[in-house]
Amino acid sequence: MEKISDALLYERVKGKDKEALEELYDRYEKMLYSYLCKMTGDRDLAEEALQEVFVKVWRGIGSYDESKGKFVAWLVTMSRNSAVDLIRKQKKPSVPLDEIAEVESTDSSVEETAEWQEKSDQIHQAVRHLSEEQQKMVQLFYFKGYTHETIAEKCGIPLGTVKSRIRLALKKLKTSLQAVQEGGVLDDKREL
Amino acid sequence: MTNVNCDQLIDYLNGTLNEQEQKQFEAHLAECPECRDIVDATGELPYLAEPVQPDAGMKARILDAVFDEGEQDASETPAPKRERTVPPVAVPKRGFRTSKWTPLVAAALLVSLLGNAYAFYELSDQPDAPTAPEVAFETVDLQASETFEGTGTAALVHEEGALNLLVQANQLQPTSGDQVYQVWLLKDGKPIPTGAFTPSQENEGAVFFSLEEDTEGWDTIAVTLEPNRGNTAPLGEVVLSAAIEPEA
Ligand SMILES: [Zn+2]
Repeated sequence: MEKISDALLYERVKGKDKEALEELYDRYEKMLYSYLCKMTGDRDLAEEALQEVFVKVWRGIGSYDESKGKFVAWLVTMSRNSAVDLIRKQKKPSVPLDEIAEVESTDSSVEETAEWQEKSDQIHQAVRHLSEEQQKMVQLFYFKGYTHETIAEKCGIPLGTVKSRIRLALKKLKTSLQAVQEGGVLDDKREL
Repeated sequence: MTNVNCDQLIDYLNGTLNEQEQKQFEAHLAECPECRDIVDATGELPYLAEPVQPDAGMKARILDAVFDEGEQDASETPAPKRERTVPPVAVPKRGFRTSKWTPLVAAALLVSLLGNAYAFYELSDQPDAPTAPEVAFETVDLQASETFEGTGTAALVHEEGALNLLVQANQLQPTSGDQVYQVWLLKDGKPIPTGAFTPSQENEGAVFFSLEEDTEGWDTIAVTLEPNRGNTAPLGEVVLSAAIEPEA
């Protein structure tokens, strides 16, 4: 049986179809939860953020359609912003800058599925093609719960510069990722 | 940058555009493949995180909250509540999770697990929750590892410092030679063995284990397929596991 697309499921969610929401939840629970755990360093906070995201999806806040890109990217943006808000409200000190790779995952019993492994390999490969500065921008913006304003403040860089650096970093990430996905191996001559 | 709107991408991702700017940028997004491709790439970023397995009760907690909130919000008559297992004893706030067990099976289990405590509970003048003994009942569905076909459920009963543990598993692959399925409780990755079993003809297995003084605050339960009985640390592969709520 053909898998129903996210966008189609979302259409059904707008018609208050609980099963469709549950299906979307099942598809992205682990991915978003893992991301939110890394970002917040706290399982309870991660769960709260995830709940907020699905409450918004259910209530049609910030409605999605395909002209806004992939559904999963829309979910990730909402997840990030929910977590940023929660971290700010809790005044929880964000994880120190130099502990970028070490945010502990609290569960040793998890085994990576093949799909996770593949996706993870691809994005890790793609990130390795960013400059150190660009990697830092992605880490701060997506994994530290920093807004672009906070990054500007902390790093002493003008806001406009921060924005264009994040944009460039993401743009290069996109190009590298496409190359990795298409070719398997990234040809360095295609660097930006 | 070719279009002034492209500059707003990061504000859009940061959720800091006002309503009108947001609408304008969304219109831009529909027209600008470059911005849309960048947005799409951010959908892969979560895979930079290490996978974290949600505990077995999270889905029920979140979906309940989502649908409750939706119902409060809408003026329509609330839909009938989904059927849920009813905890047969008093439970602390987060001790209970929904499980596949029917209330009847859960109750039967508790009778056998609780013994005296349950009798006391039944005979009490005020049978309602406030006077019930401090008993926490927690069930979790065990997650099968990728290559394992079986399923399993664990029930944990915390009672006055002691822990009773019951693990049931189905659709197990048969063991050969000295092999056994071994149950472990773990805290911070350190295991203790809590009973072993071999599958029946029907490929089912169960084990009951009692810890007189439980002070550890276990965070994980796991079942491994061990080459032999009596190991103090796992040698075989984890086939079933779940995160559990450490008892405060
Ligand atoms: Zn654009």
